[in-house]
Amino acid sequence: MTKYKSKIKGEVDSIKVISYIVMTFFAIICLFPFYYIFVVSISDPQFVREGQIILWPKGFSLQAFNVTFQHARFYSSFRISVFRTIIGTILGISISSSLAYAVSRKHLRGRTFFMVFIVFTMLFNGGIIPTYLVVRYTGLIDSIWALIIPNMINTFNVIVLVNFFRSIPDEIEESAKIDGANDLKIFYKLMVPVAMPAIATITLFISVYHWNALMDGVLYINTPNKKPLQVYLNDIVAAGQTEDLFGDASARWMPTLSLKAATIFASTLPILVVYPFLQKYFVKGIMVGSVKG
Amino acid sequence: MSSDVLKNLFKKWSDYLHKLGKDIIKNRWLYVLLAPGIIWFIIYRYLPMFGLYIAFSDFSIVKGITGSEFVGLKYFKYIFFEHRNFWQLVENTLAINILKLVFYFPTPIIFALMLNEILNIKYKRTLQTLIYLPHFVSWVVFGSIVITFLSPSEGIVNQIIKAFGGQPIFFMSEPKYFRWIVVASDIWKEAGWGTIIYLAAITSIDPQLYEAAKIDSANKLQLIRYITIPSISETIVVMLLLDIGRIMNVSFEQIYVLANPTVYSTGDVISTYVYRIGIGNGRFSLTTAIGLFQSVIGFSLLMTCNTISRKWFDRGLW
Repeated sequence: MTKYKSKIKGEVDSIKVISYIVMTFFAIICLFPFYYIFVVSISDPQFVREGQIILWPKGFSLQAFNVTFQHARFYSSFRISVFRTIIGTILGISISSSLAYAVSRKHLRGRTFFMVFIVFTMLFNGGIIPTYLVVRYTGLIDSIWALIIPNMINTFNVIVLVNFFRSIPDEIEESAKIDGANDLKIFYKLMVPVAMPAIATITLFISVYHWNALMDGVLYINTPNKKPLQVYLNDIVAAGQTEDLFGDASARWMPTLSLKAATIFASTLPILVVYPFLQKYFVKGIMVGSVKG
Repeated sequence: MSSDVLKNLFKKWSDYLHKLGKDIIKNRWLYVLLAPGIIWFIIYRYLPMFGLYIAFSDFSIVKGITGSEFVGLKYFKYIFFEHRNFWQLVENTLAINILKLVFYFPTPIIFALMLNEILNIKYKRTLQTLIYLPHFVSWVVFGSIVITFLSPSEGIVNQIIKAFGGQPIFFMSEPKYFRWIVVASDIWKEAGWGTIIYLAAITSIDPQLYEAAKIDSANKLQLIRYITIPSISETIVVMLLLDIGRIMNVSFEQIYVLANPTVYSTGDVISTYVYRIGIGNGRFSLTTAIGLFQSVIGFSLLMTCNTISRKWFDRGLW
C-alpha cells in the first residue's frame, strides 16, 4: 500500500516538475526580447558595436535615446499615434456601444436583421482593394482620419457588447420607462454604468488596437510625416531604412542596433507601462466574450 | 383584377411605411443610437462588397467605376491560367497556415494543461502575465525584435553561433527558413494568449470528477487523459474548425513586417501581394479578382466548418 502511494506521488511530481520547467522557460523567452531591447538601448553604444551585450547592460548611456528623440519623424509619428489612439478610442467605443445597445433592445424593429447585417461582415468582406477605393472616394487618403474612421468599429467588439446588454435584466429598463425616461437617457444614465465592465474592456481593446495598428497606415498614408508610429518603426527597424537617422553627424558613429533598440523601446513603453493594469481587464474581457459560447 | 393586386400591394406597403414611420417617431432615440453605427457599416463594410464589381471590369482610377468597361471573367481566367505567381501565392498562404495548424495549434492546449498543474496561484499568475505580454505589442515591434535577433551582423543568435566558431546564417534572406520563422514567431507571440480560452474551459470542469477519479486511485496522467482532455475536447474541436475556416488568411501585418523580396518565393502571401501590386502598381481589377477568390474560398470554408461545429457540438462562431 505504501509502495503504491509513493508511486502515485512520483508520477505527480514528474508531470508537475516538467510543467514548472517548461512554463517558466517559456515565460522567460516571452520576457527576454523586451529585456534585451531595454538592456541594449541603455548600454554604451561602443560595447553594443563590439557585440558585447548579451545578458547585462554595459556602460550606461542614454545617447541612443537622445538621437532617437531628436529625429523629427519619431516625434510626428508618435504624436499621430497618440491622437489616433485617443480620438479613435473615444469614437469607436461611443459608436460601438450605442449601436450594440440599440440592437440589443427587444423593441427595436428588425433587430434580427440588424444583427445579421452586422455579423455578416465578419464572414465576408470586400477585401483590401475595394475598401481602399471606398476610403479614397470618401476623401480620407493621406488624412489622419484614414487611421480612425475606416476601422472605427470592430464587429467582434459589437457582438460582445450586444451580448452584455442583452444579459442586463429588463426590469431596469422598464422601471425607468415608467418614470418617463427615453431610450437615450436610459442608455447613458442606466445602461452604460451597468455595462461598465464590458465597456472598459472593449475600450482597452480598441486603444491597444489603435496604438499597434500598422496596416491602415501602410495602405492609406503616403506622406512620411503623416505616418503613425508603427509605420515609422517598420521603416526604421524592420525595413532597415536607418539612413534618415544617420543624417545627423553626431549619430553616424552609433551602431544601428542601439538606435533600433531605443526606437523599439520608446514606442513600446506606453504599452508596457499600462500592461499590468490592462492585463487584468483583458482577461476579464475574454471571459465576458466567451460567456455566450 | 391586376389593379386589385396592385392596390392591395400598395396598401400593404403604405401600411408598413406608416407603421415604420410611427415606430421611428415613437422610438426616435433608439434610432439615433442605431444610425451612426449602421451608416458606418454601410459605407465601410458593405460599399466595398459592391466594389468587388471591379474584378469584372477594366477599372482605373481615372475612368471610375461607371466608366470602366465590363470584361466578365477576363481577370479570373488570367489569374487561374496565365498569372505567374498566383498559385505560388496560394501555396505560400496554405503552407504557412498548415504549418501553423500542425505546430501552433496544439501549443496553447499543452500550455493550458501545464499551467493547470501549477498550484501556486501567485506563481501561476506571474507566468500568465509574462506569456500574455507579447500579444499586446504590435507585429512591428515583435517582428523587429525577431529580425534584430536574427540579423547576421549584430543579432544575438548569430553572435552565439559565431562565439561557437560557426558561420553567421542569413536567416531573414533564406527562403527555406522563412515559413518556419513565421510559425515560430507566431507561437512565441500568440501561444501564451491562446491558452486563455483553454484555461477557462479547464477551470469550468467540475472538481468532483477529479475527486471521484482519485478515490478510484487514478494517477495524474490518467486524470489528464480521461477527465481534463475529454472535458475540453469540444473547445479544441471548435477552435480547430474555426482555424481551418480561416486557412486562406494569414496576418498581413506579420508577413509585411517579416518578409523582404529575397524570401517572396516562399513567404509572399495573397494579402501582401494584393497590397503591393494593387495599390503599389495600380492594378486594381487584377488584385480585386485575387482578393475575391480568397474571400469566396474563405467564406465557404468558414460556413462549412461552422455548420459542422454547430451540428456536432451545438457551438460555433455564431
